[in-house]
Amino acid sequence: MSTQLDDPRIVESDVRTDEMLVNMGPQHPSTHGVLRLVLRTDGEIVSDTTAHIGYLHRCAEKIGENLAPRQWIPYTDRMDYLAAMNMNLGWSLAVEKLLNLELPEKAVHLRVIIAELGRIASHLVGMGTYGLDLGSFSPFLYAFREREKILDLFEEVCGARLTYSYITPGGATHDLPPGWIQKCEAFLDQFLPVVDEFHTLLTSNAIFIRRACDIGVLTPEMAISYACSGPVLRGSGVDQDLRRDGEERYTEMYDGYAFEVIVEKDGHYPQDYKYPAVPREARLGDCWHRFYVRMLEIRQSIDLMRQAFDRYSTAKGSYHIPMKLNEKLPRGEAYLETEAPRGQMGFYVVGNGTPIPWRVRARSSSFNNLSVVSELCRGCLIADVPAVVGSLDIVMGEIDR
Amino acid sequence: MQSPIIWHTFFFFLFSFLACVFAVAVLVTSNIVRMAFFLVISLGSTAGLFFLAGADLVGSMQLMIYVGGTLVLLIFGVMLTARSPLISMHTPSGEWILGAIVGGSLLAVLLQIALSPKAWQQGPELPPAAYTAVEAGTPAAAELARDPRLRPPQTATKLGLGLLGERVDKLVVQDPTRRAGMSGYLLPFEIVSVHLLVVLVGAAYLARARFRVSD
Amino acid sequence: MRAISWLPRSVKAEEPRKNVPRVLVSPGGRVPYFTTSLSAGRKAARSTLGKTTATGIGRPVAEYLQTILPFWLAYLVAALVHATLLIVLSLASGVIFVWGERKVAGRIQDRLGPTRVGGRYGWLQTIADGIKLLTKEDLRPKGADSFLFRIAPYVGWGASYAAFIALPFANGWVAQRMNVAVFFILAVLGLEVFGVILAGYASGSKWSLFGAMREAAQVVSYEVPLGMCVIVPVMIAGTMDLTTIANMQQGWFFNWFVFHDIFTFLLFGVYFTCATAGVNRAPFDLAEAESELVAGFHTEYSGFRWLFFFVAEYGSMFMVSGLAALLFFGGWNGPIPVTAFWPDHPAMNYLANFLGMLNFVFKCTFGVVVMMWVRWTLPRVRIDQVITTCLKYCTPLAAVLFLGATLWTFAFPGGITGMRQVPYGMVREQYKPAEVRAAEDHVAGHPAAESDLAVAGQHRSPR
Repeated sequence: MSTQLDDPRIVESDVRTDEMLVNMGPQHPSTHGVLRLVLRTDGEIVSDTTAHIGYLHRCAEKIGENLAPRQWIPYTDRMDYLAAMNMNLGWSLAVEKLLNLELPEKAVHLRVIIAELGRIASHLVGMGTYGLDLGSFSPFLYAFREREKILDLFEEVCGARLTYSYITPGGATHDLPPGWIQKCEAFLDQFLPVVDEFHTLLTSNAIFIRRACDIGVLTPEMAISYACSGPVLRGSGVDQDLRRDGEERYTEMYDGYAFEVIVEKDGHYPQDYKYPAVPREARLGDCWHRFYVRMLEIRQSIDLMRQAFDRYSTAKGSYHIPMKLNEKLPRGEAYLETEAPRGQMGFYVVGNGTPIPWRVRARSSSFNNLSVVSELCRGCLIADVPAVVGSLDIVMGEIDR
Repeated sequence: MQSPIIWHTFFFFLFSFLACVFAVAVLVTSNIVRMAFFLVISLGSTAGLFFLAGADLVGSMQLMIYVGGTLVLLIFGVMLTARSPLISMHTPSGEWILGAIVGGSLLAVLLQIALSPKAWQQGPELPPAAYTAVEAGTPAAAELARDPRLRPPQTATKLGLGLLGERVDKLVVQDPTRRAGMSGYLLPFEIVSVHLLVVLVGAAYLARARFRVSD
Repeated sequence: MRAISWLPRSVKAEEPRKNVPRVLVSPGGRVPYFTTSLSAGRKAARSTLGKTTATGIGRPVAEYLQTILPFWLAYLVAALVHATLLIVLSLASGVIFVWGERKVAGRIQDRLGPTRVGGRYGWLQTIADGIKLLTKEDLRPKGADSFLFRIAPYVGWGASYAAFIALPFANGWVAQRMNVAVFFILAVLGLEVFGVILAGYASGSKWSLFGAMREAAQVVSYEVPLGMCVIVPVMIAGTMDLTTIANMQQGWFFNWFVFHDIFTFLLFGVYFTCATAGVNRAPFDLAEAESELVAGFHTEYSGFRWLFFFVAEYGSMFMVSGLAALLFFGGWNGPIPVTAFWPDHPAMNYLANFLGMLNFVFKCTFGVVVMMWVRWTLPRVRIDQVITTCLKYCTPLAAVLFLGATLWTFAFPGGITGMRQVPYGMVREQYKPAEVRAAEDHVAGHPAAESDLAVAGQHRSPR
């Protein structure tokens, strides 16, 4: 029997398996919320992914047309509930832009502290659950142990652990309690070695590298065309961070702070931190890089917070501008995007002269990040789908609103 | 001391019953996955019969190779391809009759052959003391312990040595000519293994899918 | 060819067989079943090399019972005693290890684990869970093949339980002392995959089927390097009889086979990896990968059926740890031979064996705890990476180490110092004609060994 085939149109392949439609979710331990992914698989290889969303839709934007901006803040809490402070911040900045408010210095630095602490808390969840998706159970609990301490700090500030409604248009609802800064500093001091522990357990773990490197590679062009943002975008090498590149109203919050955007430039990440080296198998834009960007952002937030402590202590002014509940919103519109932990979160408000806005809209970062999942999962194995979805770090509350 | 229940015979009947009943069940059932499973039980009972005969190695080999290898593969294949026509298979009665005739005649031939050798029709030449209970520590027990006919068969050692060419299972044959003709089993074993490998590679090659590339 | 008496004889009347009960000894000529000796082989625990005596000192359970019970009942009771002990071990190990896993997992994850049920340490938690599982509704998916669905957990558990038959806990303390114990255990452990495959298929769900297929592929693949890893201690000892293998490692800890040569030392690492993969523990636990398949092949199982899968899993973990302990770490022989200096009295022998059993169980438990520790530390490996690890790393590594160990034992049969016991594998000696052997013994100057090791072969050449 000749081993050469005569007809060049006949192509040999492996033993055939049937194509299957497999349903992941909406109840599934690793889809980060109520997400339904329908995978078209050929054996173990996924050829197509369709995401069905909307299971967590709660009509938040429609409700915003009936509530004053300060009343709508709890709804922003429940969007990205793991980074609620940052959601509050985004909405408050948008409303302040519409009202053209100028905040006192103390309020600004307070917001920096709170936003960065919220970023650490959010990245801890993202990192812990990513390990959990890949089967590593313990870093998840270590991350939540640290997050508990952060939530205790937040509880001291505003009384709530998850849905804070703390940052309002005009500043914040309460000032930081006395002694809180010292507790925060103590937390950061003991948190720093724990981050190294996470690096040992996950980032430089051989099995983790095998599961995350070269999986779900997102090219910069695709990232930009799908409007991905945050660590997803920076993990692909695109140098964009709204804290430096965004609107003035937002970047002046970070005026004077020294921080480098966490993105790979010329094959190197920012040199200031001691971090594990990028493994050989990693490709720019894969899950490992996205994870790595988040880990480095935790360090970055720690540094930012330390700088903010000093400035807050010496800042002048009050922590807020008192505002009336029925303050009329001027006619006009305002849209502001902020750098939330999961990406660029935008809030849009249209005022029509009454205290109630005409329209509110939230531009969710996870929505765009999730839309790229079908491209990323093409050709990977079923076990890689949770790895990819976990690396995008989505929250369904934000996507469905 | 007589024993009203003879455990050995009991277990023999149990294992043979299981083997036969489940072999018949393989024929009778209409669900292909259950067929594979009943075959597992049937071959497992055969392994039990081997253990009962004192052939530990052969019984373990039966479990490892047949049940743990071949049947795993079989069940794998059956499980992956079990679509509804195969879940409820219907055999027409004409085929039943034909099968009964063929199988029955084969069974008759085998039984005839199996029951004919004189050496298989009577028990082993064991000493009478083997059939009674002996107190441990008595001279009878010591005598029994020394009797070579009652030793546990050295299944593994003799087989292993036989594989390598030392035919200690035929030590009673001292004739030098005959001993010179005895060889080890290693070469046939190797040949069979290579054959198996060739068969597997060939099967994988034959089972590959070929399709036309659309232009 | 030895006559096989259990084939039915011809019907015609022949000379009566004079009150023959027909079975005390099986026609294969073996010693009676269930010969757990109450004090057998105590002498083997002494550290003096080659001077052990035969196992005939103690009285096997069945023999003892024969003196007080009718014949057939004695064997039945002996069998039931052994079976019950093993069932208790299998189930109790499941219960205790589930509790242990929760505690170990808790501590690794910086929390406590069960602390309420049964006092401060929550040791009754698993009992409470078992009662809860018993009272659960008997669910069966509609698309499930009900017969196979119901029988699958028991098939898996049966395989795990059957392997305990050949596992010795102390010298002579084994349900059935088999000459091919290692092979038997490997064969039976490989049957556990049936429970998984049937469960996955019969659940009627694609996810369960995925889990079952992955598991079957994984277990069957890892049997190859596992077998190669197991062969090396067998080769060093020269026998597949686990009791003999462990007896050869008596004395100090440097007698353990893991310290026999560097290849065996490394081989233990490969063995442990392959054993972890073979029993589907993390990092190779795709069959139960929670994040991907909810619970893999046992997604649709609840209540007591699910519990059986877990008892089977922990039983298998105990079994492979037991194999590791026997093959590499001396089994019941501790690092220090504490019992070697005890007086030789039946009660002391029994106590020595009892301590040996505790030592052995401790080693098994340690192995299981290490598996738990690894589970809660490392992420999960993907199925294709699992198979890659097996075929591209474990198998060649095991093969190379096997070759190294073979060459080592060939070059240094008595170890580097020449003081180790000569392996039992020099069996050819026993088959030499008597005159040649006597002449050689005379030259070498030591008497024919009357060791337990030689008698375990229990076959003499025709003298």
